[in-house]
Amino acid sequence: MTSSQQRPSRPGRGLTRRQLLMRAGALGAAGFSLPAFLAACGGDDGASDGESLLFENWTEYIDPTEEDLIGTVDRFIAATGISFTYSEAYNSNNEYFAKIQPVLGRGEIIEPDIIAPTGWMAGRLINLGWCDTLPLDQIPNAANLEDSFKNPAWDPTGEYSLPWQGGFAGIAYNIDVTGREIRTIEEMFSPEFAGRLGINSEMRDTIGLIAMSLGIKIGSLSTFEDAAPAFEFLERAKAEGFIRRFHGNDYGDDLINGNFAATFGWSGDVAQYALENDAVRFVFPESGATSWADTMVMPKGARNRDAAAKWMNFVYDPEQAAQIAAWVQYVSPVKGVREELAKIDADLADNPLLFPDEATLARTQSFAYLSDEVEAQYDEAFSRITGA
Amino acid sequence: MAKAAAIAGSTDPPLSRERRPELIGVGSLLGTGILLTAIAARWVSGVAAVGALAVVAGAIVTLVMVALTGSPDTKRKLAPYGLLKPGMLWLALFYLAPLVTLFRLSLSTLPSRFAVEAEFDFNFGNFTRAFTDFGPQFTRAFIYAGTATILTILIGYPLAYVIAFRGGRYRTMLLGIVVIPFFTSFLIRAIAWRSLLADTGQVVQLVEAFKLSGLFETLGIMNNGRILNTPAAVIGGLTYNFLPFMVLPIYVSLEKVDPRLVDAAKDLYSTSISAFRKVVLPLSIPGVFAGTLLTFIPAAGDFVNALYLGSPGTTMIGNSIQDQFLVQNDLPLASAMSFVLMAMITVFVLIYSKFFGTEDLT
Repeated sequence: MTSSQQRPSRPGRGLTRRQLLMRAGALGAAGFSLPAFLAACGGDDGASDGESLLFENWTEYIDPTEEDLIGTVDRFIAATGISFTYSEAYNSNNEYFAKIQPVLGRGEIIEPDIIAPTGWMAGRLINLGWCDTLPLDQIPNAANLEDSFKNPAWDPTGEYSLPWQGGFAGIAYNIDVTGREIRTIEEMFSPEFAGRLGINSEMRDTIGLIAMSLGIKIGSLSTFEDAAPAFEFLERAKAEGFIRRFHGNDYGDDLINGNFAATFGWSGDVAQYALENDAVRFVFPESGATSWADTMVMPKGARNRDAAAKWMNFVYDPEQAAQIAAWVQYVSPVKGVREELAKIDADLADNPLLFPDEATLARTQSFAYLSDEVEAQYDEAFSRITGA
Repeated sequence: MAKAAAIAGSTDPPLSRERRPELIGVGSLLGTGILLTAIAARWVSGVAAVGALAVVAGAIVTLVMVALTGSPDTKRKLAPYGLLKPGMLWLALFYLAPLVTLFRLSLSTLPSRFAVEAEFDFNFGNFTRAFTDFGPQFTRAFIYAGTATILTILIGYPLAYVIAFRGGRYRTMLLGIVVIPFFTSFLIRAIAWRSLLADTGQVVQLVEAFKLSGLFETLGIMNNGRILNTPAAVIGGLTYNFLPFMVLPIYVSLEKVDPRLVDAAKDLYSTSISAFRKVVLPLSIPGVFAGTLLTFIPAAGDFVNALYLGSPGTTMIGNSIQDQFLVQNDLPLASAMSFVLMAMITVFVLIYSKFFGTEDLT
């Protein structure tokens, strides 16, 4: 029920943000006019009336149209004429899965044509046979996929999914509340923050970060026992009243207005929140951060395959992808984005959170891809703690 | 029975006129109710369901025919059953049938982890789990709802009393003021409380400005400088949201009290306090009773307040049921939990009405 809430557009962006908008304005206009011009020339690949598309994505995960910058969604609509609905209905993997399971499980069709599950969830949907293969022959720009994103464990052949963005989970904290820098998980769970911590309901990030702080290698987890100490840690934290609320993608308000001293947050989100309140910080715990990728997949029976292909092709164009990256500040899976981004904002092009270097990657791990049986154990243990 | 009636009918016509319409009335009422429940709960399907539906329709037509063609006496006898019929059909379709379906589901098992359809196999394990895994949530639901109910009485009774006896010509307006905040959506009000009670919100700032933090911490309203996401916030939310359901019935019962009764009590040397205790209070008890039911029952099953104002340590059974129904997709367990909650509330209401109940629910 919370997933349908939409954040109102936030007033009062910081100066940095405005400067970025100014600089991006010119390029945004160029990106808008060129495809529009081509479409106006009347090729067959242009607009066909009545084509529609629905993409359900996570919140604040694309550049919106604001001031003199035209957002990717509107640039796409202008370029193709497709009636495109971009929805922010995806708040958490488990919540979204619970919503679509009764429909897809009965062999019926859900409304969206593209959804944005995180890799492991994409893997579950693919294994259940609830995804269609992508029309890759209509997505020439898929060739721009970064090598590091190719052939993931959840989709070894790469025919079902294209990554949307990658990123990192670490500690997000409000230094006005904590009064000092937080560098480790132990510091985060210090008694003075009791009742003021948020905990991410994404099991792989929360358990992953805790497990790493306990010296567990999360890339090689294979049984439940491997991660059991992390579950015990979380259970204890809950019993001792540390946790204010379990949250999905809806933790920004609490972090910005100081209800959360700290939580496990996602790198790009926190970059957005920091524009509103510069007391909000993001840090890789000393024990390491988790890395992940969200994908675009087409649920079984999706009606608008052609339009979906056009969208995926559009966002895999480095010029468009750079616009998205400049706003969301996650790791783009598209080759050539760094060069395009350097034209907009040189600082961002050197930001290791967007373009991780060796040193950054050495401090991150990604959660092992679990077998069905083991995943069921992890899920059950986690929902016992986080469930109401 | 029917035979007896027939025999009685053959020997004593006036008696049969008195009896038979009632038999037809009751029979058609119960028969259609049971059949409709059976169809809606999918006990019967296909041809059998069509047949059952035909029987229901036939029963209704017969009743109408008998009522139209019968003697005035028959019509008079049949009228109550005819009038009860729409209610009965409604009850069968929208209460009994879902209840039966829910009960069946609560005894079912999901064949695999991501299965959609549960299989019925008399799995009483769901009920066992409802008790073993969710004990604290049941306890909290009843403690929070009970506390909130008592608070609504403490706040609502004096309010209703003042409006009823001192409101004069402003009564209607004052009642309107009580109700007006509730024109806003339930959800908006819960979310508004979130920002009011936030750590940097107005309420906490006020408490700190008056240096009352210590007192509030001692009273258990504050916890480590927080009000939001504590049990106090959840109980407060429940109290706030259900207050009108307490004020209105109490007001109705107080408004009916004749002020001259108080005067009479005073003429008989009663003090104001004992006049209230012996005259006004007993006469207003039906209102308190109705208000308690209207407040406690929904509050015990509420999940919105605990969701927005609570923390993982304050979840109520409503939250658990919502979580099992919509997030874990474990429908059998969720159904069993709903049933246990219903049973507990029923037991509570029975005991409560045994001790405090009256015939007159205002």
